[in-house]
Amino acid sequence: MRTQFDKQLQTLHIELIRMGSLCEQVISLCANMLLKKENLSADINAAETEINQKERDIENLCLKLLLQQQPVAKDLRIISAALKMISDLERIGDQAADIAELAPYLADCDAPGKVHIGDMARATVGMVTRSIDAFVKSDVKMAAEVMAEDDEVDQLFEKIKLELMDLIRQNGLDAKAAMDLLMAAKYFERIGDHAVNVAEWVEYSVTGVHKNDANF
Amino acid sequence: MTKRIFRSIFFVAAVVLIAGFALIMGTLYRYFDNQLHKELQNEAEYLSTAVEQLGVTVLKELGPSQERVTLIDQDGTVLFDNLADQSSMDNHSGREEIQAAMANGSGSAVRYSKTLSERTLYYALRLENGQVLRVSSTQYTILSLIGSMIYPVLLIFILLIVLSGIFASRASKKIVKPINELDLEHPMDDEKVYDEIAPLLSKIGHQSRTIQRQIAGAKHQQEEFALITENMQEGLLVIDKNTILLSWNGSALKLLDAAGIRENQSVLVLNRSEQFQNVVTEALNGHHASTVLNIQNRYCQVAANPVIWDKDPEGAVLLLIDVTETTERECLRREFTANVSHELKTPLTSISGFAEIMKDGMVKKEDIQKFASKIFEEAQRLIVLVEDIIKISQLDEGRHPYEYQDIDLYTMSGEILDRLKSSAEKNNIQLKLEGVHAVIHSAPVILDEIIYNLCDNAVKYNHPHGKVIVTVFQDKTQTSVQVADTGIGIPSSDQERIFERFYRVDKSHSKEIGGTGLGLSIVKHGAAYLGAEINCESTLGQGSIFTLIWKNN
Repeated sequence: MRTQFDKQLQTLHIELIRMGSLCEQVISLCANMLLKKENLSADINAAETEINQKERDIENLCLKLLLQQQPVAKDLRIISAALKMISDLERIGDQAADIAELAPYLADCDAPGKVHIGDMARATVGMVTRSIDAFVKSDVKMAAEVMAEDDEVDQLFEKIKLELMDLIRQNGLDAKAAMDLLMAAKYFERIGDHAVNVAEWVEYSVTGVHKNDANF
Repeated sequence: MTKRIFRSIFFVAAVVLIAGFALIMGTLYRYFDNQLHKELQNEAEYLSTAVEQLGVTVLKELGPSQERVTLIDQDGTVLFDNLADQSSMDNHSGREEIQAAMANGSGSAVRYSKTLSERTLYYALRLENGQVLRVSSTQYTILSLIGSMIYPVLLIFILLIVLSGIFASRASKKIVKPINELDLEHPMDDEKVYDEIAPLLSKIGHQSRTIQRQIAGAKHQQEEFALITENMQEGLLVIDKNTILLSWNGSALKLLDAAGIRENQSVLVLNRSEQFQNVVTEALNGHHASTVLNIQNRYCQVAANPVIWDKDPEGAVLLLIDVTETTERECLRREFTANVSHELKTPLTSISGFAEIMKDGMVKKEDIQKFASKIFEEAQRLIVLVEDIIKISQLDEGRHPYEYQDIDLYTMSGEILDRLKSSAEKNNIQLKLEGVHAVIHSAPVILDEIIYNLCDNAVKYNHPHGKVIVTVFQDKTQTSVQVADTGIGIPSSDQERIFERFYRVDKSHSKEIGGTGLGLSIVKHGAAYLGAEINCESTLGQGSIFTLIWKNN
């Protein structure tokens, strides 16, 4: 019985790694699309669909585990953390797809080069990669690093906002492009938040303590 | 087992108890029955003697007693009864015991009363006058006897059952204890154990030894395998069909830049890139797959082979090879080919251009010589370039059988400096040779090429009125030739790349200075071929020092 359960837990772990890897891919694709102006919409959409499918698969697996095996203690924590994590990962995929939708409108203007969106994209990709790394290796220290990095991304967002305001004031930028860029920056900022959530669930699944709630 | 033994003992004790009780009851009952019978007989004889001597009045004076005494006349009429009114009693002549007494002198009978679960014993004796004296006594039947004794009997019974339970439990535990305490690792060492299970234990002992031997063998094999794979430069990963790692070696972890891994983890923990996942999936689908991963600026080739068991892929073996050098060399070679084509094309284009103009007759006769000399210069440059390329590829291949002989480095350096005298004089550059006569066993062709190139560079990239100093040095540990100049120097950012083929620090002035861009590359390859080391120290604007060093083992 226990071996069967262990096998299913392993499958859950592998599936989560695959889903995480897809998220990493999709976000670096959308950063490339925005910064290097490559047309990658088809790849991004395919990956996003796959992420959604993975979310459903993993959800089913988790529910099956909960109902059939009635796990306790650490196993229960791992499964419940997985259930929470996949919704964050799925949101990361969605928001990356949203950025990919905005990218074509920004393709023929040089605005992305004038603001710190490149730094922001790199920082966010780094956060997502590290949060998944933290999950894969059950590394609480790395999870804590991801949580700390969020402030940096938030500051970058504020910086981009100010830069865009300046550019609009000086008529250096089409207002529409500025809006799109602001949206893209916001999406990156949200992706950063989701990466932090993932990191928090990693911490919870390992230590049993969730940052936002002392009552767990 | 304890339970079973307990139950058996307990059951036996209970059966023995019940049977014993029943037997004792039965025996005792019979004994009492006989006793009563004898008593009745005695009493009847005693009474009959009394009645015969003293008459019926004796009976009347008897008073109440447990026994019933009846005197019956010859015709069966009851003359006397001490417990009932004789007048109400019917004729007793039909009674079994009376008839027997009348006939034989004495008779007895037993009658059961249905209602009272009693039984009455009768004993009749014929008197001399023909009358019959009957004494009877009521006795409880065995059932009613048990019934009346039920409480004490039950009490005793329960007490005994409890006692037997306790003893059964103790006994069963004691029987099982040595079996429980068996040391299954060494079952034959235990002498307290029962003889009955000795064959079983000897079998267990034998099997456990066999298993231990097999485990030790398997472990030994595994260690051997681990040792072999651990010393492999290539990374080796063995996974099952769920991508769970079964075996891995240190090189694999190093190549994938992974700190460590726990048992029962997926190979995807080590690397989760799309390429890697695809290779793993492909292998687990039963096909060979291969890819090159870029991990932390290093290139790692992953070759995955399926493990087929009974026609189905049951896992995969992944071999990881560090191909950073190969990939980089490949990159360099591609660059070299592109450079060579470019360098060869430039003079050819000039030659072709001049020749075309001349062919079309657009050149005046007096200019033909000028054009021809240009063509000659470019052709010369081409020849030098091709010669350099040939030299470098020969060194690269390392197949050319160069002749080795003892060379005096000091003399050789002097000859080289002589050859460069004319070009040095053009720029008023002072050439100087210092040091000792150091002899070394080497290939003169290559060594000449190396020192010539170093000196040539020192002259070419020098300031006017500069100096070139060649120092030959030898001691117990090393032999060296140092070429120092007071020239333009090399920027530190370029120092790493100067030995690359066609690399020029100052690309814009390359044509004026001349050279092919292969000089230092030939120096580097030559030095490597001769087993020497080449070092470069340079300060921009102040000059460079190149040192060729042979270490004496």
